[in-house]
Amino acid sequence: MNVEKISNATTDRRKSSGQSRFSAFANAFVADGFTMYPVLLLLVIVGAIIAPRFATTVNLVNILEQVSVLGLTTIGLTFVVLIGRLDLSLEGIVGFAPMFAAIALVPVSAGGLGTELPGWAGLIVALGTAGLIGYFNGFMVVKVGLNPFISTLGLLVLLRGGILIISNGRSIYSPGKALTYLGSAKLLEIPVSVLVFAVVAIVVGLVFKYHQYGRALYAIGGNEEAARAAGINVDRVIWSTFVFAALLAGLAGVLMTGRLDSAVTTQGQGIIFSAFAAAVIGGVSLGGGRGTIVGVVSGVLLIGVINNLLTLAQVPSFYVQASTGAVIIVAAVLTTLASQRSSGVRTRT
Amino acid sequence: MDNMRPIVEMRDITKTYGSTRALRGVDFTVMRGEVHALLGRNGAGKSTLVSAMSGFRPADAGTIRIADTEITANGHSYAAAIRNDIAHVQQTPQLFNLLTVAENLFLENPIVRRKFGIVSHKQMVCRAAELLGKWNMDIQPDALVAELSAGSRQLLEIMKALNRGVPVMILDEPTAALSNAEKKLLFEQVKVLQTAGVSFIYISHHLDEIFEVADTVTILRDGLVVKAREPVSGLNVETIANLMMGEKTVRSVREEHTNYQAPALLQAKDIRIDQFSEAGIDFQIRPGEIVALAGPVGSGKEALAMILAGQQKPASGEITSPRGAFPTIGLVPTDRHASGYVGMLGVRENITIGGLDVLAGRFGFINQVKEAKHVRRLTHQTNVISSSLEQAVSQLSGGNQQKVVFARALCRDPGVVIALSPTRGVDVGAKEQLYALLRDLATKGLGVIVVSDEEDEIEQLANRVVIVFQERIVDELVGQYTMKDLILRMEGVI
Repeated sequence: MNVEKISNATTDRRKSSGQSRFSAFANAFVADGFTMYPVLLLLVIVGAIIAPRFATTVNLVNILEQVSVLGLTTIGLTFVVLIGRLDLSLEGIVGFAPMFAAIALVPVSAGGLGTELPGWAGLIVALGTAGLIGYFNGFMVVKVGLNPFISTLGLLVLLRGGILIISNGRSIYSPGKALTYLGSAKLLEIPVSVLVFAVVAIVVGLVFKYHQYGRALYAIGGNEEAARAAGINVDRVIWSTFVFAALLAGLAGVLMTGRLDSAVTTQGQGIIFSAFAAAVIGGVSLGGGRGTIVGVVSGVLLIGVINNLLTLAQVPSFYVQASTGAVIIVAAVLTTLASQRSSGVRTRT
Repeated sequence: MDNMRPIVEMRDITKTYGSTRALRGVDFTVMRGEVHALLGRNGAGKSTLVSAMSGFRPADAGTIRIADTEITANGHSYAAAIRNDIAHVQQTPQLFNLLTVAENLFLENPIVRRKFGIVSHKQMVCRAAELLGKWNMDIQPDALVAELSAGSRQLLEIMKALNRGVPVMILDEPTAALSNAEKKLLFEQVKVLQTAGVSFIYISHHLDEIFEVADTVTILRDGLVVKAREPVSGLNVETIANLMMGEKTVRSVREEHTNYQAPALLQAKDIRIDQFSEAGIDFQIRPGEIVALAGPVGSGKEALAMILAGQQKPASGEITSPRGAFPTIGLVPTDRHASGYVGMLGVRENITIGGLDVLAGRFGFINQVKEAKHVRRLTHQTNVISSSLEQAVSQLSGGNQQKVVFARALCRDPGVVIALSPTRGVDVGAKEQLYALLRDLATKGLGVIVVSDEEDEIEQLANRVVIVFQERIVDELVGQYTMKDLILRMEGVI
């Protein structure tokens, strides 16, 4: 019985190696999140041909700068989605955290609280606020046991209102160099925001793939009970994902405020939908357990490139929005088919 | 004349699950107004046979006649054709917890339906109250089922089935969750319906109940009938046990590696599983010892194992280690699909999640060289066969999936291994490999706790058998116990 099994396995192996190295390569290609890169490449080539202004360094850097805010938010969202949860309040955090920092910095005459904290404290206040909100989200989901859809939806609406309350409905202009540095400065001709996005993407990508925390995320997303039985502290990991997601959303908000040199009351509106779109396009399964930072970055870039191309082609903005929606659906179908082909596992995208 | 014709007639029924032949050509007849007990050990085919009878899991081949409905089985569902002839009460109640008692009782029952399918709520409550009164049950018809005790739920399920007015009833371990008083209620109702001409097929793990309620006995063993239609008066416990046991081919035998001198690895004192537990449980495990926790479904043996594994909190009591440092525990959960492996991850990743912190180097990053070495050693130790270590575990065979779960449990070099239903749904070859693995762990001085429903498995592995019943330890077998000792205790006779 046993011998028979072993010989079966070896013939299987022989068959698969004979079948072609290509299928193994294709499987790894899909699993590692490279599915959308050929599409991205194709778009860039097409763009370069039809719009001469597209393939310039200035424009490409511009795209990267534009997507860095969405990129950070999407990476944050990916933490939560990987474990099979979601966090809608990230959109609120993108607006609330930098607004709170801004009013803590500027004098009362400019709409501030009157604390007039020194400039360097701005980033700390913004990230601290974001972290606390994330901690609260984790508490609601893990301890109280709320469905994250409801609890974070409520918080999103609450934060939107909160922004108007603390700012008195007015945007804060020029909240100070220290707070706007990350979003506006350039280092060696490259915007700092792009560098921040790149560094975060690389660090988080490595953590997901090689760190024990990342392994725990995939295990929980794939089968929460199995992760528990394996001795992983599931509740603590779930809780932490909400904190990391919120911190990254807060950072994204700071970048946005920096780029605009002001904390706007409508800041971040609608970004959660783009973040979900980018994640799904990048092959992140909303059911949890599947998705890579390589894929997420491709999703973010794809959205950035499409928006940019449509704008360059002077397509009316209404069509830009509608086409993003169409892209989401097409991409979702593509990634679902690709992952089903490669692994035989149905993903809920 | 009509009374002499059997109400149920099954001929040459076969049923195969994967590679296991659960029924190998079984004939089975039930007369009108008879309580017919179906006996056999776990895995003998009792539940498969009654499931084939009710159409819950259709048979692969054979003919079935119930009352006037004749069926030739071919693996396709025929439950609808015999819906009005037979009712099947399963081991666990299939009720809607968020509906009321009355709603559950009269769901699907045309008696309370009016025009356009509108259900008369008043009539439903009224009839439910009447029915509950007949059974002497002190339950409000508008109470939610979720609020009832396990015993009441089980009785409700039986009432619902009896209320349908079918001529044949299957009761599959109906008493597992019942108290003695509830049991008496059930038996009274069975007797009443029996005189009205209703036939019962009765499965139970308690032989004393069989003698109390049944007229006729059929005994199954390994998917075959070994004793057909024997009047219960002509049988005693001894002969039944012998028939159930049969001549088993010995595959591998248990070994004794218990170190009686060394202090226990784990010591549980006065554990109460939940607030309803009537007595505390004391338990300990020594190095090199294989202990089996056995007992009927719902006895609390699984809960006890999960408490020992630290996965569940007891209502009271404490677990200590006399050696000071608490040993690492490797857990193999009951249902590998639900809580054993992560299907979408590969073999390597599944094993590694059992010991992420051990394999992590500086800053918590996994040391990949160490990981590869560790995983290779564990897959070798547990005999996992896969096309590569990256193959998704959902694509492996049941036996290999279970071996991966074992490898994961061993990932952190545990001092105690707790395995629940370690070989459920695993083929014979893999089963023997897992037994060899567990014995090997015992020789290395680990403590092994096995929770099992299979007598063979326990007899082949365990140096000590702890019988758990109603959340207490009621008996213990140590040393040179025999298969008969074990079966009688698991059937609740002694």
